Amino acid sequence: MSFMYRKLIVLLIFGIFSNTQLVQAQDNATVNGTVKDKLTGESIMGAIIKIVQLPNVVVTSNEYGFYAIALPKGKYDLRISYVGFEEKRIPINLNGPLNMPVFLESKNQLEEVVVESKRKDENLIKAQIGTETLNMKSISKVPVIFGEKDVLKTIQLLPGVKSAGEGNSGFFVRGGGADQNLILLDEAPVYNASHLLGFFSTFNSDAIKDATIIKGNAPAQYGGRLSSVLDVKMKEGNNKNYTVNGGLGLISSRLSIEGPIQEDKSSFILSGRRTYADMFLKATEKFKDNILYFYDLNAKANYKINDKNRIYFSGYFGKDELGLGSSFGIDWGNKTGTIRWNRVINSKLFLNTSFIYSDYSYSVGLKNGETNFKINSNIKDVNLKQDYTFYLNPKNTIRYGFNSILHTIRPSVFSGTVNNNIKKVGRNGLENALYFNNNYKANQKLTLDYGLRVSAYSLMGGDVYNVYKDDIITESILLKKNEFGKTYINLEPRFTGNYRINDLSSIKLAYARNVQHLHLLSNATAASPSDQWIGNSYNIKPELADQTSIGFARNFDNNTYELGAEVYYKYMQNQLDYKDGANINTIADVESALLYGVGRAYGFELLAKKKLGLFSGWVSYTLSKTERKINGINGGNWYNARQDRTHDISIVTILELNSNWTVSGVFVYNTGNAVTYPTGKYNIGNQTIFQYASRNANRMPDYHRLDLSFTYENKTKKKNVGSWNFSLYNVYGRENAYQINFQDDPLDKTKTQIVQTALFKWVPSVTYNFKF
Amino acid sequence: MIMHFKIAIYFLFLSIFFTSCEKIITLPIEDNEQKIVIEGNITDLPGPYFVKLTKSVGLNEANVYPVIDNATVIISDNMGKKDTLTYTTDGMYKTRSIVGVYGYTYNLEVKINGKIYTAQSTMPNKVNLDNLRINTFPINGETRFSIIPVYQDPITLGNSYRFIQKINDTLDNNYNIFNDNLNNGKINQRPLNNRNEDLTIKLFDIISVEMQCISPSSYTYFYTLTQQSGAGPGGGTVPANPPNNITGGALGLFSAHTTQTKQIQIRLN
Repeated sequence: MSFMYRKLIVLLIFGIFSNTQLVQAQDNATVNGTVKDKLTGESIMGAIIKIVQLPNVVVTSNEYGFYAIALPKGKYDLRISYVGFEEKRIPINLNGPLNMPVFLESKNQLEEVVVESKRKDENLIKAQIGTETLNMKSISKVPVIFGEKDVLKTIQLLPGVKSAGEGNSGFFVRGGGADQNLILLDEAPVYNASHLLGFFSTFNSDAIKDATIIKGNAPAQYGGRLSSVLDVKMKEGNNKNYTVNGGLGLISSRLSIEGPIQEDKSSFILSGRRTYADMFLKATEKFKDNILYFYDLNAKANYKINDKNRIYFSGYFGKDELGLGSSFGIDWGNKTGTIRWNRVINSKLFLNTSFIYSDYSYSVGLKNGETNFKINSNIKDVNLKQDYTFYLNPKNTIRYGFNSILHTIRPSVFSGTVNNNIKKVGRNGLENALYFNNNYKANQKLTLDYGLRVSAYSLMGGDVYNVYKDDIITESILLKKNEFGKTYINLEPRFTGNYRINDLSSIKLAYARNVQHLHLLSNATAASPSDQWIGNSYNIKPELADQTSIGFARNFDNNTYELGAEVYYKYMQNQLDYKDGANINTIADVESALLYGVGRAYGFELLAKKKLGLFSGWVSYTLSKTERKINGINGGNWYNARQDRTHDISIVTILELNSNWTVSGVFVYNTGNAVTYPTGKYNIGNQTIFQYASRNANRMPDYHRLDLSFTYENKTKKKNVGSWNFSLYNVYGRENAYQINFQDDPLDKTKTQIVQTALFKWVPSVTYNFKF
Repeated sequence: MIMHFKIAIYFLFLSIFFTSCEKIITLPIEDNEQKIVIEGNITDLPGPYFVKLTKSVGLNEANVYPVIDNATVIISDNMGKKDTLTYTTDGMYKTRSIVGVYGYTYNLEVKINGKIYTAQSTMPNKVNLDNLRINTFPINGETRFSIIPVYQDPITLGNSYRFIQKINDTLDNNYNIFNDNLNNGKINQRPLNNRNEDLTIKLFDIISVEMQCISPSSYTYFYTLTQQSGAGPGGGTVPANPPNNITGGALGLFSAHTTQTKQIQIRLN
């Protein structure tokens, strides 16, 4: 550990205790409790708790709805608020430790907003930058392809988040790769969040409560990926009444059931989804032997042991199957499971212990004559996490904890009549992290959030690790099972500051270092389920990213309008790519084909929201540049990354026409992604071969599209509500370029023809949703 | 291999659900830097062998490649034999005396207007093409045919092969590039690709297959070409000029390889 870091840590720790002493000199007591939705019993994260008598004190409830405030003894009024709910006032008499559960009642639905803030001016007080939370209830009216509301499609309409392709659930954040997003489902990492080649995401909206995206400047409790954290939380299940929700669509249907196991004590939710495109295939003579579907299942239950202890179980299981008769098939799927134990250790200390399992596997099978083989890849995590929240005093909330993950990675193992020459056994890696974070409200204007994460990755045995220097093996290291090899240790300082200039505006500043120990090998232009994960090794070093961002937020018209602007600069080290002509699926040691380099990304993002009223929505704009410099690619010069795109505009509007009808629209426009077009051609072996100049120096044609959606819902009825959703994707039928091919003109072989393929013209869809 | 499944599945998906629309477009194309193109082959058949020298042209120009007729072309082998090639026509230079032998390393030296390009290639040992077999498989209710070249891969690792398939004398422009990364030392079972929708193999077609045992650098060259398909999220790897064995910045390839051709007619048995 360098001297600088040591000094920094001492400073941070000293900082807390120096201002603790002042507060502790008085006779203090703590009030704590859980904030919940009165109707369903779901806990509410991010509710704002204020003390009327002490305007400086503002506390928010954590992921489990828990809050705690230490105050000098006395009489106070708590004021609890959360957008979409009626504000509540509770008088308290604080003589000693006090438990005060809070139940909030939801407001008239018409006031629902799309991108949600918990408090009308929350954006101005929080030390958070590049962070947006989407509430599933409120995004349900945003039109999406196939009428299937999808959190991954909706986040792509936010600034700094780019779609990996038409209708695709893959995304890039601030110039990062698709593998540099940490996608968590109830804390469990999801390694491939897409179904059906990306047209659907693994997140069934019926089972999801909300999703938060943090674009690179996350607090220290998050780690492991360079670009972003997408933290998706499943619903807990209604602990008051049984309800059934569902939807019937053209391509897929959903059903979920939730309710109490023991009223107020325990509840469950079970939610399933399946596509039935293959049913249509069966009806055709030509395609009847083809297979094409996915299904997924979400389940969650929680049990309140007593006022201080609560346990949650959550699980996800999803699978995709694609096949052409008996000749070949691909299937892939994720399995995740989380057990969490919330424990209130004392009035100021909250502990969550999680045990998490995650498994992603992928398999290709091929049968052709007597050739019959399978290729299996799989990545498995066993993960233990302890996260403490210490409500030291109204000014300091400290989070600290650790996380240990055992990764098991098995890439491309062949079986059947085709086999690897040397049997692949797979590798293990142990990832450990210790972290500490303090949220310090210095005064009414200044909030600081600072922390440090120490992450370590140890290579583990079971396999041979080759060490390469200039493409030559210099050493071969065989680690026995459970034997440890090299350990990489990295320090990840994080800092975010918010200064409120006046009632209407604030400025924010943030810096973070993020470290990533698992890497996805893919140099194709699109992500595929067959892309391989690989851990650090003697050659592959942890990826590093340093991101600095500056933001400005301003609210207008009594917080009805919100404007946020941010600039960021990110520098990435130890980025991976592989050599031209390397076949990473069959090569004996993929590390022999890797190339290493750096990346940089910078940009400007603007988000204007109208949060309240019958007409709501947002406009987002991104101006950005993303480049890579990899030794061995493009002559070692900087080149545009494949996700580099200069301008991106999204407009989302939602209009409540009357008590039954809602109309919404999405318009997106972007200048094309960076691609490589040939500049010339030549002839080898009587075949035309194209000549290329710089990598990714060209642009796909501009992309734009308008989608509309109409929702009919009889809101006057309280129970047995049905709603109809009619949507049209790509209203004016623009043929947006999905792929561009160069070929000899079939009519005149002396000419080159450029063929553009567009995926869809119009995609209409109808979905019936019900609830009883 | 996986790439091909991916593409096949992807098109299956598209063909069922969407009327994906294709159209011919024009794009602003950058100026092309004209480069020397060298195509040289030495085989295990009796000579003469040829080296072809041309120049690349811009994308929007006609596929007519300017020839180079004023070059000095020399091929030598590692046994000390040296051969200066003579110019014939169409950019073709002909050897006079050099002989293609398994295991020999050949050096090519091309001098054009004072600039020198060199390349080196070693002819692999010959692996015999024992037979061609017909493989049938169903796709979307139709019976399709493909050809399996039967050969015994040697136990030593690092053999690479290229197959050139002609269907009734029409060249199938799919690249079929195999190596022994998998199933080293086994008899080949892998069929040749025939993904060209307007040149599918039909009953009674006569198929000829040329098998070449190629060097690893030729493998990399051709395998890179197989991985590149179009630009955009539906495409393959980011395209680039394939790495080759020629120094001096010329495009193309110098390859010493074996060659053997067999023919088969498609019949049901």
